[in-house]
Amino acid sequence: MTSACEAATRVLPGAAVIELSGEVDGSAATVLTTAYEQAVSADPGPRTVVLDFAAVDYINSTGIALIVSVLARARAERRKVVACGLSPHYREIFDITRLSDFIELFPDLDRAVSQLTPPAA
Amino acid sequence: MTQMARSTPRRLDAFTLASEPGNERLALARVAGTVRGLGLSQARLERLKTAVAEATMNAIEHGNGNRPEIPVEVEVTQNGEEIVVAISDQGGENNTGFGQGEGTRDGQGEGIRDGRGDGAGNHEEPDLARKLDGEQSPRGWGLFLIRNMVDAMHVTTDGQRHTIWLTMRTGGAAHDERM
Repeated sequence: MTSACEAATRVLPGAAVIELSGEVDGSAATVLTTAYEQAVSADPGPRTVVLDFAAVDYINSTGIALIVSVLARARAERRKVVACGLSPHYREIFDITRLSDFIELFPDLDRAVSQLTPPAA
Repeated sequence: MTQMARSTPRRLDAFTLASEPGNERLALARVAGTVRGLGLSQARLERLKTAVAEATMNAIEHGNGNRPEIPVEVEVTQNGEEIVVAISDQGGENNTGFGQGEGTRDGQGEGIRDGRGDGAGNHEEPDLARKLDGEQSPRGWGLFLIRNMVDAMHVTTDGQRHTIWLTMRTGGAAHDERM
């Protein structure tokens, strides 16, 4: 299935950022899994993975399941997952599914990164 | 001057979609265009869009088995302050396990078949902690989302015709303005 989701990964001190765009639905499985593996592939791997949804315009129930799978894997690897850039609607969905109990939410990437990465010396 | 009785349902739109994955996006866009301007806040419009997409996806996948030649039917009506979206497939009640029933935003009720329950019409409530512990499948959010997005939902079956009815009130439903 062709995915309407794209992901770009970059590594910061102590955290890796996965910038998602497009649609997070069932077709995004490979994109999201590959992005996560790239994000944590550094040695040592990041303690925190940031999911940036600022350029995402659609998340459905299957996409929620993919996010749950990423969160489960990160927790098994003792990594923290945070999210940023969610629209008010998808922030509400993170609340009612209780994802926001396990994933700290930030309004945007700048505020997420400023909380997660150590200040420059 | 003649006034319309408020209880007379008014059809706003009716259309069909081929049962192909992804066509739920067409349904949500068209329904959103139909009901825009009828008094739903932006937040409630977004909720209705999500519910329509999830119900249509269910109809495509589990009702009509992703067979494009079997259409999903969508009808939008207004009855007073209620907007009702009816989404029908041809899965019947003997498909992958569902019954008829109702659900509301308070989390009560069952009735939609989404192929993610126990196959006998009993849909296990998603529990994120259990999912993270591997005790539940990561999936199974469709019905949960629908119930939490709209003011009311219910399901009917007439022979092979299976319909989910989504109701959203346009006025005075501030109880769920949570944003």
